[in-house]
Amino acid sequence: MVDGNSAKETGKEGLTRRRFTLGMLIASIAGAFGSLFALLKVLAPEKKGGGYATTILPGDVLVYAQGGSAGSPVTASSMKAGDAVLAYPTGKSSNPANLVQLIKLEEAAFKPPTDISLTDKGFVAYSAICTHLGCTVSWMANRESPAASFTECFCHNSIFNPAEGAKVMGGPAPIPLAQIGVKVMQDGTLAFTSDFKGPIGPQV
Amino acid sequence: MVFKWLDERLELRKFKEKFLSKTFPTHPTFLLGETALFSFITLVATGIFLGFLYEPSTTMVSLFGAMVPAAYASVVRIDLLPMGLIIRRIHHWSAMIMIAAILAHLLRVYFTASYRKPREINWLVGLSLWGTAMIGAFTGYLLPYSQFSVTATSIAYYMAKSMPWIGNWISRLLFAGDFPSDGTVPRFFFMHVMLIPATLIGLISLHMLILIKQKHTEPRSNRDRKEAQGGKRLIGIPIWPEQAVISLSFFLFLLFVVVLMAAYIPLNPIEMYGPPSPGTPVMRPDWYFLVVYGFLKLVPGDLVFTILGGKITPETIGGVIFPALNFLAYALVPFIDRSKEPQHYMANPLHRPFMTSLGVGAIVFLCMMAVAGYIDVLHITTKAMTVYALVATAAAWSVSYALLRWYNGKRGNNAKA
Repeated sequence: MVDGNSAKETGKEGLTRRRFTLGMLIASIAGAFGSLFALLKVLAPEKKGGGYATTILPGDVLVYAQGGSAGSPVTASSMKAGDAVLAYPTGKSSNPANLVQLIKLEEAAFKPPTDISLTDKGFVAYSAICTHLGCTVSWMANRESPAASFTECFCHNSIFNPAEGAKVMGGPAPIPLAQIGVKVMQDGTLAFTSDFKGPIGPQV
Repeated sequence: MVFKWLDERLELRKFKEKFLSKTFPTHPTFLLGETALFSFITLVATGIFLGFLYEPSTTMVSLFGAMVPAAYASVVRIDLLPMGLIIRRIHHWSAMIMIAAILAHLLRVYFTASYRKPREINWLVGLSLWGTAMIGAFTGYLLPYSQFSVTATSIAYYMAKSMPWIGNWISRLLFAGDFPSDGTVPRFFFMHVMLIPATLIGLISLHMLILIKQKHTEPRSNRDRKEAQGGKRLIGIPIWPEQAVISLSFFLFLLFVVVLMAAYIPLNPIEMYGPPSPGTPVMRPDWYFLVVYGFLKLVPGDLVFTILGGKITPETIGGVIFPALNFLAYALVPFIDRSKEPQHYMANPLHRPFMTSLGVGAIVFLCMMAVAGYIDVLHITTKAMTVYALVATAAAWSVSYALLRWYNGKRGNNAKA
């Protein structure tokens, strides 16, 4: 009752001890959360040596990305129709966005939307980073009929058709793998001729 | 002597009377929660051993002549220590058993309707424990920094990033920048050994406190005994010494089983996966993530749209919306199946056609999603798998509902006759 009376009295006067304390409380909570926002910004750095920014330049030679000959140039003669390897531009293997899958098919096998001008003697290259959740794609070679070979991501079984611009044939990947231009050089090695013709990695 | 000295200062006798003589109802399924708790204790104990030897860094160091990340090298060295590999496997197996035990415990509580008033809060605390335990397990995936670690974490990074509106910020906060970043391993290490165990201890304490306050649900047979004897108190055994002896011997038995499994069943062979490399081999997550893993495979790739500037992709649907909806559905259970009066006895699932068939349907659905994780080896197309999953779920739900209705109809007739 006493409280009720004092509340009535204070209604006339405006500022009371209770309202002042309440205001203090709200202000301090707001202040505390405000400073927390600054902290959260600090804890989520914009960039720390990651992400998918490619650094491939035309003329970069393709080198094996893995296996015993990792780092040495891929030669055109080492691959026949239906083969594929993972490759990096030479000296730029520290950037995972630069990883490509170099595929050799029959020259007549390509259909739109493959950009034929970016292929050479049956060689075609696509980004090897799956557009679903960023795993590296694998080559499902078909020895009996090389044309039936395809690219698959083993993480969630997205399937891409290398003869049709890495079109999504199945699985959860939302967009094709980006094509990049390659050509066979005079010394039998392969070099890039362009940048990626589309976005790399997960589209999130 | 020691007891007297302590008793004079801490009033141990009073504590014993008040707390240690609390009644613990007995039922075999009441050991499921304890299994989870004991697995957690084993995890902490083995985790302390591993924590002394692990190095949370991705700096490249030399290991037998090859350059590998320091984290990977330190785990290989742990494996080479006497008992090192077995401790690491006990740690990993305990995590799997803890999550399995929590799930079994949740199912027990679900089917016996022990979540009803007044125990709704503890149902939510239990669900949070389950989620936190899985996050804890997941942050542990990255630490050995093998090819498996990096692939699994990269997938989770893009799942977090696929959240509409806040995805970029959330993923940078959790993974310390864009993955793979040098900051990710130290941040995950901190979360795995500090933040998540602390959260788990807090939630477990809350779970236990609420349990002590509200008391255990009792088997139905206790009600008949009470009606016959006219008593009102809980029927069971006191915590000290009876329940303590049962719990201790159960803990030791569990430890024996886990050590046996760790000794003979290989798990997370990081030496076989190797350090991070460009290629991604076929790899599946631990069993409790198979549901999300399988569901991710079933979402069609062309399901992309925008709501209020937020981009929804197959990754968002499979990696964010689906798990969130699952947890939301589980959280809503005690608020859908409400009761006005407080309930203190386990329900018979056979007498509850609606809720029990719903649970059966949900279990079949989750199992089918786990099977979907294997469509590549089963050679089933995603469309066919989606149809199978929906048909199996609908069949399990409707058949179990019809059977239970029929059973209860028969029971009702018998009771009348």
